[in-house]
Amino acid sequence: MFLLDDILLWPIRNVVDVLHSLAVQEMYDPESIQSDIKETQLLYELGELDDAEYEERRARLEAELDAAERARERLSDKVVVQR
Amino acid sequence: MSSHLYAYGVVEAEDFELEMEGVEGEGPAETVTYRSLSAVVTPIDEMDVERTDENTRAHDEVLRAVMTEGAGRTVVPMQFGMTFKSARPLKSVMRGGRRAFRKALMDVDGAVELGVKVVADEDSTLDRETVGADVSERLVALSDGEAENDLYSDRLVFNRSYLVDTDEQDAFGDAVSDLEAEYPDAIVQYTGPWAPYNFVDVEIGAK
Repeated sequence: MFLLDDILLWPIRNVVDVLHSLAVQEMYDPESIQSDIKETQLLYELGELDDAEYEERRARLEAELDAAERARERLSDKVVVQR
Repeated sequence: MSSHLYAYGVVEAEDFELEMEGVEGEGPAETVTYRSLSAVVTPIDEMDVERTDENTRAHDEVLRAVMTEGAGRTVVPMQFGMTFKSARPLKSVMRGGRRAFRKALMDVDGAVELGVKVVADEDSTLDRETVGADVSERLVALSDGEAENDLYSDRLVFNRSYLVDTDEQDAFGDAVSDLEAEYPDAIVQYTGPWAPYNFVDVEIGAK
């Protein structure tokens, strides 16, 4: 019975692992956050964002980038990033 | 005390001074000459320069002034953040890289870099492939070089840099204006002149 449980859980655990590492990659991907920063800059230059919206988005993204870079350093030996 | 040097780029040997504030608000911009080459520099305190918006803008503005002041100059730009302890190591880099610098000066002689972005409106159906082919065909004819840049936003359907002879700059600008009429559901962003970052390939080694 114990053996059966173990075998049955195997693939599930794998899927969860994969999903988890995908989420981590997405969330802590400094390059994709940097693209968002550049996009924000572009939309501001084109007048689609006003000063307040720009400042707010920019500050949020920079905080995210900071967190991502720190997380990356912490996780660097656990997550293999494939791009 | 500002004893170090921040370098912007290299021009044909010439002594000149530009009354302006460069990186970290330091100025004026001056030249350090080694044989047939001059590097444009401002003084700087620290060897590590922070890549802030102000500093990257100052880097670009000094280069633009070098290119446009007086009769204009051809410049081989350096990447942001090149600092030297004094004129001596800078000169030794110019000596080591003199062939590469001379070749680069020839490659971009009399030309500036201009940037063209096409940003699709939110509900537009423009696709990158069609716009890319069409816009490129119109602009390549008026330029000496084309470089593709990162399409970092879903709405960014075109983002390229062109090396354009200063004599062709007006004609190029007209062609860019025509794009506005051609693509009513997009915004065309035209930037420059920039130093020809995308069209020189000088590797700088030791500081």
